[in-house]
Amino acid sequence: MDNQTKAPHLAGVIGFFSDPHQLLHATEKVRDSSYKHFDAFTPYPVHGMDAAQGLKRSPLPFVTFAAGLTGCTLGFLLQYWTSVVDWPIIVGGKPMNSWPAFVPVMFECTILFAGLATVGAMFLLNGLPNHKRKSFDPRITRDQFALLIEAPVALEADRAEQFNESKAAEFLKSIGAKEVKSVYSEGWF
Amino acid sequence: MGHATTIKNPGTFEVSGTIKNILIACVAVGVVTFAFSLNADPTRAWASFVMNHFYFMSLAIGGLFFATLQWITGAMWSAPIRRVGESLTAYLPVVFVTFAILYFGVPKLYLWSHMEHVKGDLVLEGKSGYLSLGFFVIRNVVAIALWIFFALKMVGNSIAQDASRDYRLTEKNRFWSPVFLIVFSLTFTMASFDQLMSLDPHWFSTIFGVYTFAGMFYSTLATICLLTLLLKSHGKLDGLVNENHLHDLGKYMFAFTVFWAYIGFSQFMLIWYANLPEETGYFIRRMEDGWMGVSTFLLVGKFLVPFFILMPREAKRNEKVLRNVGIFMLIAQWVDMLWMVQPEFFKDGPRIGLTEIGVTLGFLGVFGLMVFRFLAKYNVVAIGDPRLEESVSHHHQ
Repeated sequence: MDNQTKAPHLAGVIGFFSDPHQLLHATEKVRDSSYKHFDAFTPYPVHGMDAAQGLKRSPLPFVTFAAGLTGCTLGFLLQYWTSVVDWPIIVGGKPMNSWPAFVPVMFECTILFAGLATVGAMFLLNGLPNHKRKSFDPRITRDQFALLIEAPVALEADRAEQFNESKAAEFLKSIGAKEVKSVYSEGWF
Repeated sequence: MGHATTIKNPGTFEVSGTIKNILIACVAVGVVTFAFSLNADPTRAWASFVMNHFYFMSLAIGGLFFATLQWITGAMWSAPIRRVGESLTAYLPVVFVTFAILYFGVPKLYLWSHMEHVKGDLVLEGKSGYLSLGFFVIRNVVAIALWIFFALKMVGNSIAQDASRDYRLTEKNRFWSPVFLIVFSLTFTMASFDQLMSLDPHWFSTIFGVYTFAGMFYSTLATICLLTLLLKSHGKLDGLVNENHLHDLGKYMFAFTVFWAYIGFSQFMLIWYANLPEETGYFIRRMEDGWMGVSTFLLVGKFLVPFFILMPREAKRNEKVLRNVGIFMLIAQWVDMLWMVQPEFFKDGPRIGLTEIGVTLGFLGVFGLMVFRFLAKYNVVAIGDPRLEESVSHHHQ
């Protein structure tokens, strides 16, 4: 890849916190600061992190809803077409369009479509799977909570100028990080 | 302790004198209409009595069922609203009285109580061992007694915890909860078989108990939601119940809207598909004449309307929406009870008139008085619950 031929550039400054409450409050402070690009890393989901990061609600539920309705409709049309239009057979003396008999399949199609679309849209929205990214510190999958203030991408040279490494490090320390270090892109970013 | 300093006990809740008077007036209206219609049209009077008896009995035992689920799962979210569920059990002793009154309606309601009908009818003769007046009374009285026993024991533990703050009382309730759930599932199924399904003694549906259970929990959740909103509007739950708790209650209501539809459809579809003469009568009666409209209302009103209204996240966090949907769900459940009882007596369509509304108001009055008496006597929040503190600062996505 392009990245590997270039010299590693500054990806950002990361601060470590030892408990989730500290991290939550620190994240709120970063959210309210002038730093626009940041991310939190935790070994397990921390309640309230979405609000602390100022994340907007995900559009995922609308995908689920639309896909569910589509599945329900297609489930009905499939059965209507097979048992009324394409190959009508009288079963149990019931009308061709016996909708109560169609309901279980419509229900299952609703679930199937909604479920698959949700998983698919989730991967699209969060950009996973991404084999290029590497964990930059194994501790964040064990017992450490981290907050990364991202440096603007090197390509935006003018903005990169403005990013002050030591200032960001100072800021992280001031909001309670017990350890701060700069991280360089190694293809994970 | 931490609790005492951080969480203020909201104490008891005294309902206003006007509401109390209205409830007393409702009881009077109920007694007068019931007495009057017993003379005018006894079948109609007893039909509306048995449906309301079952409706409010379901709410009372549903309150204990709700609380039991919280104990058995060790739920945190529900700690500040569990007492609202417990308060519904205050009506349970009245169920004894209404069942005693129902005894006098047995000849009007249940065909199996007439020997001249049973004799010569092979099906009824075969069932006569079970469907006999003595056994009917004994097993239902035992069921109600068991429910009161568990309510006294578990709600008693919960109230005792208000003062002692002893976490071991929670553990005791967690021990009793599974025992109650097993007893409850058997006795509630039996009560619905006996009091509702045997209105047509020839008909049977093994899922019937689950169907009445679905309606029971559907309406119980709506009642708990409405009572919570009432207490909240009087400032009794300030700092205790926030929109996250309401969100969870809304999800619960949403889930059981779907559950009711699932069970209701399962009962219908298997009977419709198999098309066996001994089973189809129940649904044929409910799909003819005026009853088809009621059946359609149940599909649309009891399922689709709350389903789509409660679907968005914002609806479940909005007090106004929850209040309106809650009231609507209680009405829908009432129509469902009507739909289970009346077609056995009135083939041409539903009867909704002074008799039905008057008797319902009577039951509503007694139910309200009993529940508000409980809330005026005991703290409206289980203030000694070890999970309360965590639940009060309940945040989630």
